[in-house]
Amino acid sequence: MLTIKNLHVSIEGKQIIKGLSLSINKGEVHALMGPNGSGKSTLSYVLSGKEGYEIDEGTIEYNGKNLLDLEVDQRANAGLFLAFQYPMEIPGVQTSFFLKTAINSKRKFLGMPEIDALEFAKLIKSHAEDLGIGSEMLKRDLNVNYSGGEKKKQEILQMSILKPDMAILDETDSGLDIDALRIVSEGVNKLRSEQNSFLVITHYQRLLNYIKPDFVHIIANGKIVKSGDFSLALELEEKGYEDISKTA
Amino acid sequence: MSTAVKLHTMPSRNMSNYAQKALLNNPFENFKIENYKYAQLHKSITTNLSLKGFKPDFSSFNSFKNLKLSDGTNTDLLGDLNKWNYNNTDSYFRVNSISERPSIKIDLDLHEDEVIYLDLSIFKENIQLFKATELPKTLIINNSNFSDDCPRSIFLNLSENAKLNIIHFNISNSKSFLYFEINQQNKSNVKFLSFQSNNVHTRNEFFASLEENCSLDIYGLNFHNHGVNDNYSFIQHMKPSSQSREVFKSIVKNGAVTNFQGKIYVDSIAQKTDGYQMSRSLILDNESKANNKPELEIYADDVKCSHGSTVSKLNQDQVYYFQSRGINEEQAVKILQKAFLVETLDVIENPQIKEYSYNLLDARL
Repeated sequence: MLTIKNLHVSIEGKQIIKGLSLSINKGEVHALMGPNGSGKSTLSYVLSGKEGYEIDEGTIEYNGKNLLDLEVDQRANAGLFLAFQYPMEIPGVQTSFFLKTAINSKRKFLGMPEIDALEFAKLIKSHAEDLGIGSEMLKRDLNVNYSGGEKKKQEILQMSILKPDMAILDETDSGLDIDALRIVSEGVNKLRSEQNSFLVITHYQRLLNYIKPDFVHIIANGKIVKSGDFSLALELEEKGYEDISKTA
Repeated sequence: MSTAVKLHTMPSRNMSNYAQKALLNNPFENFKIENYKYAQLHKSITTNLSLKGFKPDFSSFNSFKNLKLSDGTNTDLLGDLNKWNYNNTDSYFRVNSISERPSIKIDLDLHEDEVIYLDLSIFKENIQLFKATELPKTLIINNSNFSDDCPRSIFLNLSENAKLNIIHFNISNSKSFLYFEINQQNKSNVKFLSFQSNNVHTRNEFFASLEENCSLDIYGLNFHNHGVNDNYSFIQHMKPSSQSREVFKSIVKNGAVTNFQGKIYVDSIAQKTDGYQMSRSLILDNESKANNKPELEIYADDVKCSHGSTVSKLNQDQVYYFQSRGINEEQAVKILQKAFLVETLDVIENPQIKEYSYNLLDARL
């Protein structure tokens, strides 16, 4: 589904990712763990297509297409979703309007008519309830005056209704209390199927207790230094990044 | 081509030195006058500001046939020449219109309809408006579609407890110059929106004088892809416990210029004044320009007054966020522009006018 080969990325001349390769197949959940500044968030931005990142070398293939040829919105409509570590606040745009616009963009891309009001209400209600998002929150401006936990739940709500093939969760666990962590994880697990894949970026093994990964990768200094199964996350928790990076 | 008012035609015995000085400071000739600093009026030649001897023709007011219209005199307006607490130059438009043009009076309470439409293109007299009741009423003032560039002047007088919702449309490819004055007696309430878009050259002046326990909401919505659009406001709190809230928002592109100069004046006896002023501009390209100049002048010591001003480009991270959810850049930019401006439309009370304004904004973005 997603194949990254020998990726080199720099920002304003500074190399951040230095030869990263990663392959994710349909139905797999991969965890990417690493210390601050190792290039985790940069990788997620590059995959989503954010401006300002120079691809110096390497390829990214997504469902047989060259991902780097696609605009940000084209990637999203092709099934790629990034749940942001710091979701943007959008004053003046009601949350439900934003959700509807996003759904209709995808439907337009798929050649479907716009969603009707009743169908939209049903869809939102079913997913929002699961995540503990009240109808009052959907009327508020998107992410404005949301708590940290509410913002993350909003990201998962968007993911749930857009049903991506490939979802990247960028430190979705940061800033979450135990209850919110469980609710958010359940939201992710609900979407998990043989048809779609996840790249879960996190500092801590804690999240991976809820979202069990098939593979765990450790990133340090811009490349993957060690890969393994869930036991690698446990090992990491015990020994710390420095130790693992050394033995890699 | 001369743009000056002929001073010898003025009734000089009624004019203070101050007013005469105001007329000598003709912004059509001198672009260095502080409160016309950004207006660029010297580039917009106006040939005839004087309407001396112009006879009002009431036959054109078909839509107002139920209104009590009377031929106003200049006398009471002239008596007010020194009422504004300016430290520098006065409004040239105001002094000019008072001294040079006849007036008509309109009593808004005598009109049966809830919405009153005033098309400023069909007359050039000064208009004195009166509202004495709390009855909900919306006044639409249209100074679009002008075929001349003569400035218009409106003097609105609200009695105690009176209420009025005013929507001003200035939305066409023409030149227009407007002086708008609001005089609020105790406990009166005004909600005002000026909707401005795509004009060749405009100068709109909004003057308001508040007595006790009044409230004034004055909002500006500006969206321009060409022209110079200049707004000046002066709100004076003359008695205690009134509140004024002023929000001017503008978006410019394709080399358009938007200006906002606004002052809140609080008299020494106007304690417990609550004043707020905010001007915000979005510039969509490198050719366009926004000048915002907020001012406060406060002589009372127990007041709450704040002002703010921002000029920025569209937040690209917000655009990226939309795109990351599959919404294309063009649509994202349009939604974000609307989101920036739309709070100003909350001032509109009448649902039909509100819908009209939403649609107009959609069509222009």
